[in-house]
Amino acid sequence: MKFWVVRLVSLAVAFGFAFGADAWIAGSMPSAYRLAVLAGLFVTLAVSLNLINGITGQFSIGHAAFYMVGAYTTGFVSNQFYAQQPLGQPMWLIAMALLGAAASAVAGLVVGLPSLRLRGDYLAIVTLGFGEILRIVTQNISQIGGSYGMNVKPFGGPVQTLWVVLLLAFLCVSICRNLLKTAHGLPFVAVRDDEVASSAMGVRVSSVKVTAFVIGSAFAGAAGAMLAHAETFISPDMFRMDVSFIILTMVVLGGTGSITGSVVAAVVLFGIPEYLRTLQDPITKLPLAVPGQALLGSLVAVGLTVWGLREVSRRVHGNVQNRAVAYGGTLLGGAVVAWLFSVVFGLIPQIAALKFDVNMLRMVIFALTLIVLMLLRPQGIFGHHEFSWRWLGGLLGRRPREATA
Amino acid sequence: MAGLDLSILPQQLVNGLLLGSIYALIALGYTMVYGVLRLINFAHGEVFMLGAYAALFTSWALGFGPESRGQPPQSSALYLVIMLLVSMGACALIGALIELLAYRPMRNQPRIASLITAIGVSLFIQYAGGLFLPQSPPPAISEAVSPYRGVMTAVLKPPPADLAATIDEIRAREQAAKSLAEAAKAENKPEAKGLEEEYRSIQRDLRAKVGEADSQTVRITVPHGQLIMLVTTLVLMAVLRHIVLKTKTGRAMRAVSHDFDSAALMGVNVGRVVTLTFIIGSALAGAGAMMYATVLRTPLSPFLGVTPGIKAFVAAVLGGIGNIPGAVLGGLLMGVVETLVVWAGFSGFKDAVAFVVLIIVLLFRPGGLLGSSKVEKV
Amino acid sequence: MVKRTINQTWAVLALAAIAACSLVGCKEPETAGTGGEGTAKSSGSETSSTGVRRALKVDGPEVKGDKILIGLVAAQNGDQKPWGDDSVKGAQLAVDAANAAGGVNGKQIQLLVGDSNSDPVAGKNAAQKLVNDGVIGVLGEVASGTTQQIAQVTYDAGVPLIAIGATRTDLADIGSNFFRVCYTDDFQGPVMAKFAYDDLNLRNVAIMTDAKLPYSVGLSDSFRKAFEARGGKIVDEQKYQQKETQFSSYISNLKSKNPDGVFLSGYFTEVGPIVSQLRQAGLSVPVFGGDGWDSSELISSGGEAIVGGFFCNHYNSKETRKEVQDFLSAWKQKYGGEPGTTMGALGFDAANLMIDAIKRSTSLKAKDIIAAIDSTENFPGVSGSITLKGQGGNPSKPALVVKVTKDGFVFEKSYSPEELN
Repeated sequence: MKFWVVRLVSLAVAFGFAFGADAWIAGSMPSAYRLAVLAGLFVTLAVSLNLINGITGQFSIGHAAFYMVGAYTTGFVSNQFYAQQPLGQPMWLIAMALLGAAASAVAGLVVGLPSLRLRGDYLAIVTLGFGEILRIVTQNISQIGGSYGMNVKPFGGPVQTLWVVLLLAFLCVSICRNLLKTAHGLPFVAVRDDEVASSAMGVRVSSVKVTAFVIGSAFAGAAGAMLAHAETFISPDMFRMDVSFIILTMVVLGGTGSITGSVVAAVVLFGIPEYLRTLQDPITKLPLAVPGQALLGSLVAVGLTVWGLREVSRRVHGNVQNRAVAYGGTLLGGAVVAWLFSVVFGLIPQIAALKFDVNMLRMVIFALTLIVLMLLRPQGIFGHHEFSWRWLGGLLGRRPREATA
Repeated sequence: MAGLDLSILPQQLVNGLLLGSIYALIALGYTMVYGVLRLINFAHGEVFMLGAYAALFTSWALGFGPESRGQPPQSSALYLVIMLLVSMGACALIGALIELLAYRPMRNQPRIASLITAIGVSLFIQYAGGLFLPQSPPPAISEAVSPYRGVMTAVLKPPPADLAATIDEIRAREQAAKSLAEAAKAENKPEAKGLEEEYRSIQRDLRAKVGEADSQTVRITVPHGQLIMLVTTLVLMAVLRHIVLKTKTGRAMRAVSHDFDSAALMGVNVGRVVTLTFIIGSALAGAGAMMYATVLRTPLSPFLGVTPGIKAFVAAVLGGIGNIPGAVLGGLLMGVVETLVVWAGFSGFKDAVAFVVLIIVLLFRPGGLLGSSKVEKV
Repeated sequence: MVKRTINQTWAVLALAAIAACSLVGCKEPETAGTGGEGTAKSSGSETSSTGVRRALKVDGPEVKGDKILIGLVAAQNGDQKPWGDDSVKGAQLAVDAANAAGGVNGKQIQLLVGDSNSDPVAGKNAAQKLVNDGVIGVLGEVASGTTQQIAQVTYDAGVPLIAIGATRTDLADIGSNFFRVCYTDDFQGPVMAKFAYDDLNLRNVAIMTDAKLPYSVGLSDSFRKAFEARGGKIVDEQKYQQKETQFSSYISNLKSKNPDGVFLSGYFTEVGPIVSQLRQAGLSVPVFGGDGWDSSELISSGGEAIVGGFFCNHYNSKETRKEVQDFLSAWKQKYGGEPGTTMGALGFDAANLMIDAIKRSTSLKAKDIIAAIDSTENFPGVSGSITLKGQGGNPSKPALVVKVTKDGFVFEKSYSPEELN
């Protein structure tokens, strides 16, 4: 009984959240609507890749391919058939999500099969190659827009997609979570931890691997379908290798195998470059410009601070107070170093002459954040942990145990 | 597409080898690092890019800068050697730095974490390069710097003799028509327009015949610069193989590659070996970058390394990653396959076919062409 | 047990989803179903314009406060940065000059730049942010794909958009707020076709297209159509990809088709190496291309081989027109040297055109500024005299054919739009 109550309540919460968020964002801050949609898509992508990569341990680095299959299939179908069928716009969106999922599941099957024979880096390059092949083929088919891209405008106007995107993300998270929490998930984890041993224990390794690929890519396909309808325009360039890399980074940065981690990392990594835009403030009417010496000084300081923080985490133990002082001191030291070096660099006229608009720095800061986070927490933000109240309490009370890979 | 033109096949095969030598050169560096560390060094392409810029700056310092256009200094092989050394040195330094700052701290972490760090480093170099490197407009190394600008041509089958005679005859007619038309124009005669038209039509005939003769000739043309690249690749491969198989350092590398911990227990200075591997691998990237930028003279941008980096990675995997002759074989094979695809008229799909070949090869030989596929031990 | 519950969860989810849809059905956005004329036409390689521009549905913002904000979307990161940077520099130059001259109605102008990161999705984010910040007009982008996304945002917001380098023809159908200062694909191709046919006396031309670059694909298409319409023959088309460096395989193919000229529709970054490798392969026929060639670096990457090539351009740095010389000297004073790509001049023109329209506009409302841009006649731009009145957003302006020489580009011939037919 309790089981059903919990399930129903969480379902209700999810739906309430999806529709509520959609209506609220559309009403009060329409400009954030698109960003919310994109962030939601990245959550789905990251969690679904986590299923393949983190939970089943199959090294796939071509997730953008499945994203693309979903987007192009549904974009094409929508353009051709939306006008000739009776479904309303909302139902059509869901139908398209399902279609995208189905199309990508087939693609996932095609990629999943070689995974039976390959492992590790060899599998990685095959998944990467698959993505590139699809992208290049798409680029060469002029019927779907070629290198320019394809308009997806069956509705002829703006579309409300956020609620579908949020439901999709919710579905993806809950399926992955249920897999991890139930007996169904054990074979996946077993395959990740030791393929040979799990096979000896009677796990059907092949079917587990292929299932992971199919489920993971199906969600990516559904996300692609939503991208096509939310953006109303798709082009092969939107599914470059970089996109796959970013999704992979979200998974690893969040903590391989941790669903919570993927969700958080997806939102954070998507948010950083977008947040940095807002630093160019029209209220003060000044485009923020960073002098060359400050940039270089901060780069040096970041390097030294990271090194310092690593040393502190290795050497300083004991109570919370001691550690807080050590960490705080390191950060403070970093700030001083940044200031010192910027003064020194400022003496060099060539450097002092440089000025960088914050727009130019966005991506550098993004990449730097990535490196720093990886160096400070190689096991990812959440490690193998999932968010739970007990976990949160443990985190505050004592040092969490390091996860083993 | 029309049928395949067999007369250009020999030339296309040579083109493929030359293209492949570029991939092979970069793949050597990839494979070195992978062989020892089992780390896909995604930043390799960026080291390559920085090497190209190092060569560009050196060429500017040697007096071939943008302001010297018009009267550049005399070209010399010495300049090329200087550029090569600077480029290799700069890359070795950068490679060692990257290893020290970004990869060494990750040594005991899961490999996927190192991979993400590598991606991060690669993105960082690309975008930071966008801030500091000259790129608007993308600069190219002046062609004046290299004395090896000629081409080598071997004619396998000369054009038919009668065609040559026809061409001479048309050429004479063209000259005559030209002077007639010009004279008429100078005197403003009414028939000037007609004569001009006649001259132009003969000119077109001449072009058509010259072209025809040209296309009936079977020949192989090899630019000297690209030939040098191919030879260098093969030499470097031999040297590298010698280092890895015959020297003490090489033995240490192989030991580290086999097992980090045991190698350390046996007294191998693992840190030093890894640094050395990065230095050698990156210096190779530098050598490749310098030749690439000088011979092909592509305009440089901070994203220059991405495409060659991926291609070289594919080449390395194709040959069996970690295997030195494999990298060269993989590179050359990819060059030839890509060229043949273009030859067959599917140029749009060229990059895709490289991956298709890779996937097919991996399905049959999961360890690459020359690599050994290890059976996992329990 | 577990298995069953999962299945049940699925079933419940599906049911709930269906229920939810019927619920949402009533709040379907009212804008839906207005039928996308023009752009709603599905995909396809067909880029020709229908000539029908969607009317705006909203009135758009108006200037509040003491500053006039103009947005510019440009690639500040990524592989299009060289072009994006130049467009920023050019636009900034125009804004600075206008401010130095007292601004508009005593209000200073501020240029806000948004980074497109060489990507349509990020470009749309940037445009959205600019529109939020209250810009009264948007400039950009350099690439057609990104511009299409920006055009969507500006259309929905009722803000005028002046594209800088987006040449795709059907972009102008997106809305009546869309304008551009560059040529469309449909113009440059015919210019070069006429020049090749009449002046170079060519009949059998081969094309090399950068398949990754929509600009290049579009230009090649329109050249092919125009050249064949004149009676010429396209003997071969080779498709390479941006950032390739070794073109010998394409060149061998091309050479065997025996062309008497080669049309290169890509950017100078690839054109330089291609031409030098063409010559190495022993092909000595004339080469010519579009405005993607325009860069001082063309000569350094193309070397001696490129000398004697022709391309279509907007202006020529040796022109004596006052606009050109003023622009070049202002550029030199602020940034040193000459603009690296043609986007410097186009960015300058786009910003000036916007500022000029704001001055001419009856009010500082977006709606009236759009009307003012739409009535532009003989605007003296660096890239020629621009007329937008009655042109459906696409400028009517002359094209120059310039010849590459060792000491820079030399004027060869000028074509006005009327001359092409």
